Parts: sequence; C-alpha cells; structure tokens
Amino acid sequence: MNELLSHLALGFSVAATPWNLLFCLIGALVGTLIGVLPGIGSVATIAMLLPITFGLPPVGALIMLAGIYYGAQYGGSTTSILVNIPGEATSVVTTLDGFQMAKQGRAGPALAIAAIGSFFAGCVATVLVAALGAPLTSMALLFGPAEYFSLMALGLIFAVVLAKGSLIKALAMIVTGLLLSMVGSDLETGVGRMTFDIPELSDGIGFVTVAMGVFGFAEIIRNLEGSAEDRSIVQAKVTGLMPTRQDLINSAGAIGRGTIIGSILGILPGGGAVIASFAAYTFEKRFAKQPQRFGNGAIEGVAAPESANNAAAQTAFIPLLTLGIPPNAVMALMVGAMTIHGIVPGPQVMTKQPELFWGMVSSMWLGNLMLIVINLPLVGVWVSLLRVPYRLLYPAILVFCYIGIYSINNAPADVIIAAVFGVLGYWLVKHEFEPAPLILGFVLGPLMEENLRRAMLIARGDVTVFITRPISGTLLGIAVLLLILAGLPMLRKRRDEVFVE
Amino acid sequence: MPEDAKAQTGARLPLARLVRSPQDFYGGLALVALALFALWSSGDLQGMHGFSFGPGTAPRLFAGILLAFGVVIAAMGFLVKGKPLERYAVRGPFWITISIIVFAVTVRPLGLIPATFASFMISGAGSPETRWIETTIAGVVMTVFSVLLFVYLLALPFQLWPRF
Repeated sequence: MNELLSHLALGFSVAATPWNLLFCLIGALVGTLIGVLPGIGSVATIAMLLPITFGLPPVGALIMLAGIYYGAQYGGSTTSILVNIPGEATSVVTTLDGFQMAKQGRAGPALAIAAIGSFFAGCVATVLVAALGAPLTSMALLFGPAEYFSLMALGLIFAVVLAKGSLIKALAMIVTGLLLSMVGSDLETGVGRMTFDIPELSDGIGFVTVAMGVFGFAEIIRNLEGSAEDRSIVQAKVTGLMPTRQDLINSAGAIGRGTIIGSILGILPGGGAVIASFAAYTFEKRFAKQPQRFGNGAIEGVAAPESANNAAAQTAFIPLLTLGIPPNAVMALMVGAMTIHGIVPGPQVMTKQPELFWGMVSSMWLGNLMLIVINLPLVGVWVSLLRVPYRLLYPAILVFCYIGIYSINNAPADVIIAAVFGVLGYWLVKHEFEPAPLILGFVLGPLMEENLRRAMLIARGDVTVFITRPISGTLLGIAVLLLILAGLPMLRKRRDEVFVE
Repeated sequence: MPEDAKAQTGARLPLARLVRSPQDFYGGLALVALALFALWSSGDLQGMHGFSFGPGTAPRLFAGILLAFGVVIAAMGFLVKGKPLERYAVRGPFWITISIIVFAVTVRPLGLIPATFASFMISGAGSPETRWIETTIAGVVMTVFSVLLFVYLLALPFQLWPRF
C-alpha cells in the first residue's frame, strides 16, 4: 500500500508539471471534439496525430494521446444522446436510451449522468491500473507464445459471445478479419501475400482504412436510406442540465456496476470499451425490476454503458503496459507511439521507466477531472454544433474521413480501399453480419499469427501444446465453455432480447 | 429500418423460392466465394516446411475455416426459415462512392481545396433532401475549415491548389 502511494506520488509529480498538464488538457479537448463528431473516431485521430508527437518528450506525447482516447469516450456519448448516431463505437448502446431521453426533453440529465458516471469510472479505473500493474507484470513472465495465442483467442470469443445476433455469423466475421489482416508482406520472409502485385497492398491494408470504411462510410450510406425522423437531431432546447435527485438514486447502482464490468472487460484483450458498454447495458436490463423501461429512456441505460466504456478505456492500458499486448486498436497505436520514442511496451516499462508508467497513470485521473470541468459547461456548444441538419452533416463527415485517411500515408489509394470497405460494410449490414468482430479479428490477426507460429516452432510442431500448458489450456477451456454457453438456446434467446429496440 | 426495405425480393426465381432464409443463404455463399478467392490467391505461397509455418500457412488456414463457416451459414440459410433479402439503396452508395473516387483522383493533381469542395458537392447528391444553395455554402465553409484544421493547425503537408 505504501509502495502504491509512493508510486502515485511520483506519478503526480510528473503529471502535474505545467507542460504535462497542458498536454493532458489538449488531449482531453481534442478527444472530446472528435468523440462528438461522428465518423472520425479516436483511432483515426490518434493515427493522424502520431507524427506530431515526434517532437514532444515521451511522457508528454503519451499523456496527450491517452487524453484523446478517454476524451473520445466522453464525447462519443454526447452525439449518441443528441443525434442518435454514436460518435464512437463505444457509445452505440448509449443511443438506445440516451436518444429516447433527449426526445423527452431530458438530454441535460442524460449528458450529466454520462459525465458523472464516466468520471467515477475513470477514478476507480485509475486506481486499478496503479494497483494491478505490478502483480500483472510478474504474471507476464509466465506467458509464452502459446499463452499469448490462447489469451487472444479467448478475447475474440468474448467479443463474439457478448455481441448481438447469430453466433456463427459473428465467428465467420472474426475469421474474415483474420484473413484480411494476412494481406501484405509476411512478417518473417517478407513475401507479399495476396497483394496481386499492387504496391499499395504490400504494406497490408491499413486498420484506419478498414475501420472508416466498414463503420464510417457504411453507416452513412445506411443512414441515407432511413427516413428523416429516424435520425432527426433533437430540436428541443436542452433545458435543465442537472439530473434530479431521483435520477441520481436510480443511476448510482448502474454506475457502480458499469464500472466493475468495464474494469474487468477492459483488461481482457479483444474488445475493451466496446464490449464493456454492451455488457453493462445487457446486465442492467436483465437485472432491472422493470426491464421494459429500457429503450424508452431509462437513465440506467445511459449511466451503465457510459461508466463501463470509460472504465474499460482506462483498464485497457493494463495489458499494454504490463504484458505488452495491445487489447484494442487504439492501444495498438499507442504501441506505435511508444516505439517511436524508443520504448518497448511490456513488463520492463514499469521497472525501467517508472516516471513514464506512473506519470501516465496519474495523468489519467487529472484528465478525467479536466473532462468533467470542461465538458458540462460546453454541452451547449456541442448541442449547437449538432443542430446542423443531416443533409449538411453527412457530406462534412465524409470529407473529414477522406482527408483523414489520405493524411495517414498521403496515399490516394487508401481512400479508394476505404470505399471498397464501405460498400462491403453496407453489404454486411444488409445480411446482418456484425462489422465489429471483423475489425477485432483484423487487429489481432498479425499478433495471433506470430504467436501461433512461434508456439508451434518451440513445440516442434506439436499442436497439443496449447492444451497441455496449464495457463494456455485454462484460457482455451474458458473460451470453449463460453462458446457452449452462448450456443445454448435459452441464453441465445436472452442475448437477442437485449437488442430488440 | 424503413418498412419498404423489408419488401420481399427473393421470391422471383423458382430456385429462390426453395431457399428459406435468403439473407443467410446468399451471405454464406459470398463468404464461400471470398474464402475460395483467398485460397486461390494464396496458392502460390510456400506452406509448412518442417515444424515452421511458411508465409502461406496462416492465410490458407484462415481461408479454410472461413470456407467451412460459409458453407454452414449457407446450408442453414437453405434449411432454416429466416429473413428475406433487404432491398439495396442505389442513390446513396452510388454518389458516395463517386465522391470518394473523385477525392482520391483529384487530391494529388488538383490539391486539397478543389478536391474537398468537389467531393463535398458530389456526396450531396446522395440524399434527396439536399438543397443545393445551402450545400454550396456549407461546402465552402467546410473546405475553409478543413484547410485551417489540417494544414494550419495540424501542419500536415498538403498541397492546396493545382500545381502547374
């Protein structure tokens, strides 16, 4: 305990320097802005801003990037509640009840609860990161390639089980993602795989390109089909920002449960914040006294997922900082940012660069505090920004996406590839295939292949190594168990009920 | 989801009437096609040599698994009653795709400003609600905003105007 306090004291002494405070504030503000704007997610923004952080000191750069990330979790809820379009993938479920509340003129309390819940979750998660960092680092030493592979397999299965819709279709989407991630140069031999001698494909398909296509473009194409009312922006004035006493009582439990669920799921590789928000919503609805209130503007339906996604966004740093595994796409970019500054993510960060590790952890708490202070007064600004009609908003989002994709490599071909994925995403939606598992498979694909290869090589071609090594076997066992449970008809039915709007 | 999009479109051909869930059946078939394409295109890569994976091992492994899933999904779509195909919109996807291509083609030779404005206007054609005067003004504002944000604030090395 004393050790923890002295670590945190070191962290705050790093995070509270004026420059680092400024980086944290910039990160949080940019994060909120991109979170509010649908179509440009935190992944794209962090990817775009990576080159700018070259010139910053490593701690400042990582503090700013982290700020963008959790700031976006905050901002995403604003768009979900006011426009019924999730600003971030993590705020998808927030639309269900948040937009209903906004329609009833209760956008203010919904936004306030989202902010309060996020702040609470952020505080708890920061303490968790600090407390769990050290023990997990020692666990990392027990992990070999077989364990890493099994851990990622478990993460993917988790994502499928908790996602909506058909189980087998979700599994098929994961494999499609894995397959797509194979395009490009082979890691070991450098041979081009499925590149068809197209130079733009030799580096592989960019993650941002796929994500913007499948989520951004496809979403807009689909929105254009709907009638104007479905996505009409709340025109009613946002009156009374403060939640009532009853609102606070109702949501207190949901915030607590959301925080716990989010913290646990954030640590698991595979989905982090997205899954956490879905799981927290599912949990609230299933155990609510009046489940029928959900989908009709229940404040718990906003409080739980918003707390969960913020908690998960922060605990997602645990596997990155301790095991060196990025649990999601943003964390994968953080690996890139660390590598730029000559830091190899993994167990050695905490011992060799304690000021970096603890400085980052402490800055998260400061960042969350800044978010609640800057966000509640700014809600009015965001609202007026979102009152722009969709017929003007969607070309603006599209153009933003084009420039964003183009800026990553200055490659026009990337924009075209994103268009292909946009059409693919539209097709997937029409056939009720979920795009989220595809993205996860795509992110984890190269890592899984690398560890699979290594594990097989070490075991001299013996496949049973994944089952006979205790940790690996346990992880795979849990994965199989989850699949069986999810396949049971009774649970399947319940799972589907959650998403009936 | 709009009601008209749920209209049955799969019941025209006699063969199609046998399929009990066209949505899953054709979805599964498409995955099978993708898997076969991946198998074919990774066919020339080296596979396992001894204990170690070759570059072609993992792609073919994943393509094989996808093939199996595709077959199962298609078979279930054939046997188990499910949803009909949804109607595809043409206008939105068409104009948005054109807009993307125009941006990709013009951003290098013409620069950011013409490319942004042109693609903004073209994407506007994707919605029947677009009012052109309003969209033109918004296009100008958006172009100025993009230049300020990306070129001046983020200092990205974009060319703004055509270079002769």
